[in-house]
Amino acid sequence: MQIVTNNPLVREKLQDHYAVDYAEGSFGELLVRVRDKAHLGYRLLSHPLSGSVKPNETPYKSVLISDGPGALDVESLTIIENSILTADKFPVKYPQMSAKMRADFQLIDYTLLQSAL
Amino acid sequence: MKLELGYIDIQDIQFSEESKIANGVLYVNKDEIQKIVLGQEHIRSVEIDIARPGESVRITPVKDVIEPRVKVEGPGGIFPGVISKVGTVGSGKTHVLRGSAVVTTGQIVGFQEGIIDMAGPGADYTPFSKLNNLVLKMEPEEGLAQHEHEHALRMAGLKVATYLGELARNVQPDETQEFETYSIPEGMEKLKGLPRVAYVLMLQSQGLMHDTYVYGVDAKRSLPTIINPTEIMDGAILSGNCVSACDKNTTYHHLNNPVVMDLFDKHGKEINFVGVIITNENVYLADKERSSDWTAKLAEWLGLDGVIISQEGFGNPDTDLIMNCKKIESKNIPTVIITDEYAGRDGSSQSLADADALATAVVTGGNANELITLPKLDKVIGDVSYVERIAGGFNGNLKEDGSIVVELQAITGATNEMGFNRLSAR
Repeated sequence: MQIVTNNPLVREKLQDHYAVDYAEGSFGELLVRVRDKAHLGYRLLSHPLSGSVKPNETPYKSVLISDGPGALDVESLTIIENSILTADKFPVKYPQMSAKMRADFQLIDYTLLQSAL
Repeated sequence: MKLELGYIDIQDIQFSEESKIANGVLYVNKDEIQKIVLGQEHIRSVEIDIARPGESVRITPVKDVIEPRVKVEGPGGIFPGVISKVGTVGSGKTHVLRGSAVVTTGQIVGFQEGIIDMAGPGADYTPFSKLNNLVLKMEPEEGLAQHEHEHALRMAGLKVATYLGELARNVQPDETQEFETYSIPEGMEKLKGLPRVAYVLMLQSQGLMHDTYVYGVDAKRSLPTIINPTEIMDGAILSGNCVSACDKNTTYHHLNNPVVMDLFDKHGKEINFVGVIITNENVYLADKERSSDWTAKLAEWLGLDGVIISQEGFGNPDTDLIMNCKKIESKNIPTVIITDEYAGRDGSSQSLADADALATAVVTGGNANELITLPKLDKVIGDVSYVERIAGGFNGNLKEDGSIVVELQAITGATNEMGFNRLSAR
């Protein structure tokens, strides 16, 4: 199992315990990274739209995927493609936000991920 | 299991020396409420206010809405496992302070959300504008962690609702209503020939500000199970969910679940309302598979002829909804699903994040992306400055004249997926 994330808090808290694939980037770019991995045969283990915080509100997302690539998992691919379509409906409204707000969004993403670990 | 609800109609709330109910007025001693709230660990201060239908008042950000109730006969107490001791509720008699609610507000995170307008166009979209609300605006101790903050607000709201409910213990109800469900063999015998229908109630269960509690148990840590609908009326299911204002189920929604009420309306006449299957909406995909396997298995074991499924929240619960629908339909049990839509501001985009050909009967609570202009109201309880940061708000949506342009998703209960909302296909 590995964590694909753009959330620095997840990297900080979990990188000593799990394989964490961290890269800076937007919510949308993170979903595309997960989709590319799904095409390589990684299976999705957690839902990419976990939580009810809207994709244009939070900049952070962490998704659990399988350890190594296997046969292409069509269901994983369907879920991530649908998630990208859904997220694209929400134009990003907050390129700028306070450090406090960023910290709150990081914490929410972290607790959502934790509930799956 | 049989429960009688005794409704005591509350026409007004007023502050007074003595807390009591008289002639349809709920009199509240502010000091006593303050004592209860400040008795809750981690709460530093509270402002107590009243918001009545038609008043020019905006409450935001709303955390939960709770209807005061009290058990007057039968085993157990209200909000079992959290306020009262663990013990099966759902039988005997319960008094309801109909037309009133406790509304909790307080900012746990910077992007918190939920607007209740008591007047104007926004009021039409939230059912809570029609209630007399006792509003608690609570501030935590400095530096309190968010999950402790959420817990403190949740508990304080429930304690105040319990205190108010207690005032109704010896009040003669204005109206009573009986709700009775049967055991499996009893139902088979008494309601022979009527289609057996159950309700799959999906509960948000994903982490901080996304949780629901059943008899005190965090729903994400439980497998789907069966609950009697009258247990829900006694507060067996409580909301700890304060994200996605338009389609989260508040504690008030659970207590007054419209699917339960409508199924009881038809119970014994057109259908046999067998019971409620509660299930969760977890983050882990294997949990989603397991829980939906389980709901389908329970539906089959109960020998059902039809199932209604309601959802809570946005995005990933669409996947749980479709899994539940697909797997129950695959057992040859027809389903109707209740959801809401994020179809873009013009309503032309795909509505759900998941779909299946077996989902042929869908009820929608409305399009959460639709824009609405909320005019300036005279008084704000809480804080509007965050509104442009929340779901449904956007940069520059706070106008100079004090009006706010938001998507419907900012309004508490606007597109509720139990069908409780006021503007919908109902």
